[in-house]
Amino acid sequence: MLTINNLVKRRGTQEILSGISFKARPGRVTGFLGPNGAGKSSTLRILLGLDRATSGSALINGKPFAELHNPLATVGAALDGFGAHRMRTGRAHLRWIALASGLSRSRVEEVLEIVGLTDVAGKRIGNYSLGMGRRLGMAAALLGDPKILVLDEPVNGLDPEGIRWIRTFLRERAESGNTVLLSSHLMGELEETVDDVVIINHGKIVADGTLEEVIGNHSTLEEAFFALMSENSGNTA
Amino acid sequence: MSVSSSRKITLILGAELEKLVTLPLIWLTLLGTFILNLVLAVAFTSAGLQGAAGTQSILKIGLASMVYLQAGFIILGILATCSEYTGGQIRTTLTTIPWRGFQLSTKYLALAIVTIPMAFIIAASGVLSAFIMMRDTALVIEIDAVIKPLAGATGYLTLTTLLSAAIGALLRRTTPALVILLGHYFIVSPLLRDFLSSIKNYFPDTAGYYMYMPPSSDEINVLTPMQGTGVLMVWTLIFITVAIVFYRKRDA
Amino acid sequence: MRAFNAELSKLFSLPGIWLAFLIGAFAPAVIATLDSTAQKEGIIAGVSTRLSEVGYIGLALGVQGVIILGVLAVSSEYLTESSESGGGNQITTSLTVVSSRFHFLLAKASAVTVISFQLCIVAILTTVSATNLILGEYAPAFESSRLIGAVCYWIFTALLAFGITVLTKNGIIPLAVLMINSSVVTVSYLLSKVTKLAFYLPDKAGLDMFMFTSDRFHTPFTGGLIMFAWVAVLFIVAAIVFHRRDVTS
Repeated sequence: MLTINNLVKRRGTQEILSGISFKARPGRVTGFLGPNGAGKSSTLRILLGLDRATSGSALINGKPFAELHNPLATVGAALDGFGAHRMRTGRAHLRWIALASGLSRSRVEEVLEIVGLTDVAGKRIGNYSLGMGRRLGMAAALLGDPKILVLDEPVNGLDPEGIRWIRTFLRERAESGNTVLLSSHLMGELEETVDDVVIINHGKIVADGTLEEVIGNHSTLEEAFFALMSENSGNTA
Repeated sequence: MSVSSSRKITLILGAELEKLVTLPLIWLTLLGTFILNLVLAVAFTSAGLQGAAGTQSILKIGLASMVYLQAGFIILGILATCSEYTGGQIRTTLTTIPWRGFQLSTKYLALAIVTIPMAFIIAASGVLSAFIMMRDTALVIEIDAVIKPLAGATGYLTLTTLLSAAIGALLRRTTPALVILLGHYFIVSPLLRDFLSSIKNYFPDTAGYYMYMPPSSDEINVLTPMQGTGVLMVWTLIFITVAIVFYRKRDA
Repeated sequence: MRAFNAELSKLFSLPGIWLAFLIGAFAPAVIATLDSTAQKEGIIAGVSTRLSEVGYIGLALGVQGVIILGVLAVSSEYLTESSESGGGNQITTSLTVVSSRFHFLLAKASAVTVISFQLCIVAILTTVSATNLILGEYAPAFESSRLIGAVCYWIFTALLAFGITVLTKNGIIPLAVLMINSSVVTVSYLLSKVTKLAFYLPDKAGLDMFMFTSDRFHTPFTGGLIMFAWVAVLFIVAAIVFHRRDVTS
């Protein structure tokens, strides 16, 4: 269970998040939706203890990230970018993460197999394509077999096969009782994957509910999204 | 709790060591430093061969290349901390090990574990090559007299590496860290020595100099090796503490 | 010309370029001030043996600014240390914008040359005024021929830094080598004690353009020529390597 409660983040005079609250529940895939620069990544970074909130809280099973006893086995996270040094090999990258959490080397080979990187595991990460980098990020997230997954734009840069794999994989994880929170701006993709939708714009939550509730009378999630966006900007103007 | 946290230290230390060991740049730096040091030691020895003989001069000449040698260890320290910020690895590090102060301290420890043997080997190789080239002048070399300066040199290089790592962690970017450290060690400090002779012994590099250089009678107001170690250690600890405080406070 | 303007604007928008400008403009003056203060008594008493170096020593030791400039100009194309991007390879973008690699390199080198030239002029102004301020009537005359030598030394040094970085693609090695070798006791100086060949190293030869010290080996003109030859050879090698290699490797 992920609980975001009245989260505010300011950088200088700029307010990036202005008091957002939502939950991501076990057994469900929650889609976190919004245009570029709306505050998606900032929220996830605070949730993962990378950035500090100005006020409010982002809790994982009721605790802030830094107080988790074994973070890797509790939350698997894949943020945007590779999250790895370019000169290291993919296998070496996963090995130091495994070492830090006391996981075995065979677990590294397992996750390499799951994400389909076994063949290139001995290559330097600098030579990876965007899609391969995303797969490496997923491998790192899955290493500790966590109950919670936090993924930032997981399908970005993946090939069609990879996208389908992510979709079925995330559905399976949720159906076996895990919590999945993923951010995206690909509506069509989200509509096929998520149970719940949270929409953020200019650092504020503009919609929060099940997929059906958010779509409402509109024909698709995309329609609903644009309707909400124009409504929202109409209010602020 | 105490059992699990001591296990955590071992695990995280293992991970930090693995990070250092699997980074090719670290090995390239050490290898390059080793080779350059040998070349310089040979150059210094052939330049100094006309001079006096004996164990003392072998040591002096063998350790003369330390001035340049330290650059390799400065680079090593900077690489160890700044490499976290390449390709966003810091995000992976902090989502795996969110205890920041703890993580950075362990990194220093891992760096020291890698640096100490390497610093000893490289410093010793300089003295050894001086000895081989000068063995006609000194038939016996007193082991005792050699071990102490070598231990001092190892300590100096290790502390310099840790100091550089702390500055690297503070600045997070390789280029400014490198410019500031090399600028201090090679340009600012040698120039200021003439002006601030009263406090020059409290600079990290000049204080550290006394850790390995055998004292010569013609110099006044020198520090003992222990005093030198103390001063350099204080500098290193100050910068490590500042780096950890900032690391804990700021957004990654 | 468009490529040249683009390279100029790229250079000015680099994070860290302020460091190059700051050091380039003021480090020589600070060094000259320190040296002049130390030498003042000797000069007034007429016993200083280093009168011909006063002031110029700042320009000799203060080249760090343009070294940083030359290195950053290239290394920034290959790697940015940012937590957000997955390691920015700006070079890919650059080479799709300017299709000829040779033109790209030439434009970049020209931009580095122009900025180094300007930085050196600023440095000369600050250094000369600092020396005059400290030494007053005892300040040495700054002859334009020697100052031109200093300007050439700065530009050549920047281009050396530039060329080496094209070969290494990484700023650490050229920065370390060149910064240490422009310091108070250089490796070249040490080597010159061992072999006369060291006088043909670029920095040792280049300094003869304007540092009239007692152990001078070349005339200013041959010194400059030797340094220029180094720059030219390095540039040709860099251009060939740069032309042949795959961008991403």
